[in-house]
Amino acid sequence: MNADTATQLKAEVEEFLYREARYADEFLLDEWEGLLTDDFHYWVPAGRIEGDPAKQLAYLNDNRARVATRIRQLQTGKRLSQLPTSPMRRILSNIEVQQEAADQISVKANFVIYELAAQSTGELRVWPGQAQYQLRRLQGELRMAAKWIELVTAQAGQRNLTFLI
Amino acid sequence: MNVRLLSCETVGMEIDYRYLVRADRIHGSLLHDRDIFAEEMQQIFVRGWAFVGHESETKNNGDWVKRQLGTESVIMVRGDDGEINVLSNRCAHRGTALCWEHSGNDSFFQCTYHNWRFGLDGSLRAVPFPDGYSKPKEDLGLDRAGQVANYRGFVFANLDGSACSIDEHLGDAGFELIDRLCEMSPTGKIDLSKGWIGHRVQSNWKLWPESDSDGYHVGFVHASMSASTDTYYDDVAVGGEAVKSSRAVDYGRGHLELDWRPSYKQELSWLGVTRERVRNYCSALAKRVGDEVAQQLLWDGPPHAFLFPNLFLGETVIAIVEPVSPTEMIHRHTAVQFEGVDDAFNERLLRQTEAAVGPASFITSDDAITAERIQAGVSGTATSWAATSRGWVDLSRGMHREVMDEGGVRSSDASDETTNRGFWSRYLEIMSQE
Ligand code: FES
Ligand SMILES: [Fe+2]
Repeated sequence: MNADTATQLKAEVEEFLYREARYADEFLLDEWEGLLTDDFHYWVPAGRIEGDPAKQLAYLNDNRARVATRIRQLQTGKRLSQLPTSPMRRILSNIEVQQEAADQISVKANFVIYELAAQSTGELRVWPGQAQYQLRRLQGELRMAAKWIELVTAQAGQRNLTFLI
Repeated sequence: MNVRLLSCETVGMEIDYRYLVRADRIHGSLLHDRDIFAEEMQQIFVRGWAFVGHESETKNNGDWVKRQLGTESVIMVRGDDGEINVLSNRCAHRGTALCWEHSGNDSFFQCTYHNWRFGLDGSLRAVPFPDGYSKPKEDLGLDRAGQVANYRGFVFANLDGSACSIDEHLGDAGFELIDRLCEMSPTGKIDLSKGWIGHRVQSNWKLWPESDSDGYHVGFVHASMSASTDTYYDDVAVGGEAVKSSRAVDYGRGHLELDWRPSYKQELSWLGVTRERVRNYCSALAKRVGDEVAQQLLWDGPPHAFLFPNLFLGETVIAIVEPVSPTEMIHRHTAVQFEGVDDAFNERLLRQTEAAVGPASFITSDDAITAERIQAGVSGTATSWAATSRGWVDLSRGMHREVMDEGGVRSSDASDETTNRGFWSRYLEIMSQE
């Protein structure tokens, strides 16, 4: 890959990640779900990202069917822990892009989310961590095949985590 | 003794728990008052029995895990003799905490301040420059729990050693509830070593025993779950008295159950599968207990119960209620794993736990928000005598229709507050004793 294509790919990936981040921040759930592949895997371990996710107890370990349920639940209008939804904004940085195969790109990025617990205590919560993405190109478009989140506070227990992190 | 006046009936300077905890209601100050919280940590978690951990977390000698018993940090460790010790996580010299990680394996504990070294039984083994001490070493060991008991792997401790026996504390019902869980395993043994996940909630710790054993809220707080996926809770807990035969049970001594067994509509409901999907498990279970007993177990499933003061048996989930402050607690859970099943089966239990319990789950995340909303509601209740005409929390649902059997076990419709009253009546017994 020459420098130009690498820059171009990085720009394309960044554009995708910023869009994904905005959909999550704004609870644009259908749009967010539209970014996912059919085999999407969503994982927030209770420690580092390492080992086999299937064999660990995590905060969240969704296959595609379960993430669909998660979104449906948020869309019922009765999901107390997001009623009202948390106003939130996230910042992505330190984005590293790695082309794994012709259609397969892995990405690491640092993030900080600022979230207001509007549905309960009204406090501002800060969620720092690293996101690891697997992106796949399908019919020319980038899609998200995996999103794994390593929270800085992973071992410390969490407050309400029912938004899309 | 400090303590403010809490009721007009109080003449001394003590908190009058009999005034605050009534048969049909409790006062909101019990859920946020600092002095009450301090007394609870002493009366309930130091003077009484509480759940510490499971022996499968410390399989080898030297394996240890750090736990909170009330507000006290303790270490559960398997000693050189293979026995499980519960030690204070506090150096006997000047009080430095010894363990910082959640768990580990060591042949001794060494303090980082002046390098005192303690054995796995808490005894002082070595101090640097020993000539400076004239006291005998035996007087300088770690504080140990006065009583430790292990029933089918469940380790309980009474820190100051002054409580009744574990037999009396658990009672027949406590043992039987643990039995009902363990008997679901093909070997009769469960494993709780997948790690504990902390859910930090800005509520008083006592709201969780109440929530974990409250059958009234399920159709409301968890409406979003029922609306988005199939769950057995629809069969056993939603819809109120007209259609359900589940029972709310108060066994006494604060041990409670929501007994779903009469309401299950098919075997293995509690696992959310049909027999075809878990054939190996079913036949392994039948091999140990026989077809007939296995058939019954597969219908009934593991219990949904609370053992006073801090252990929740939630079908295939185990949780510890961990007080932090009057208005903060951690609901810490792990997944039950069975012995003698294939990996796929235990992975199913892990996924089921993730769906049900924790900060990102489909169920208890909504309970946590509810607890925080209760906290917001009751935190305004004053603790001064003048204000106790206001701020009561009603717990009278079903009082007129609950029944008591010959053994003193109370039960009622699963939507009734029999369980909540059971928790508070045990609480009152403990808090009002000398
Ligand atoms: S405080 Fe532990 S050795 Fe001094
Ligand atoms: Fe609940």
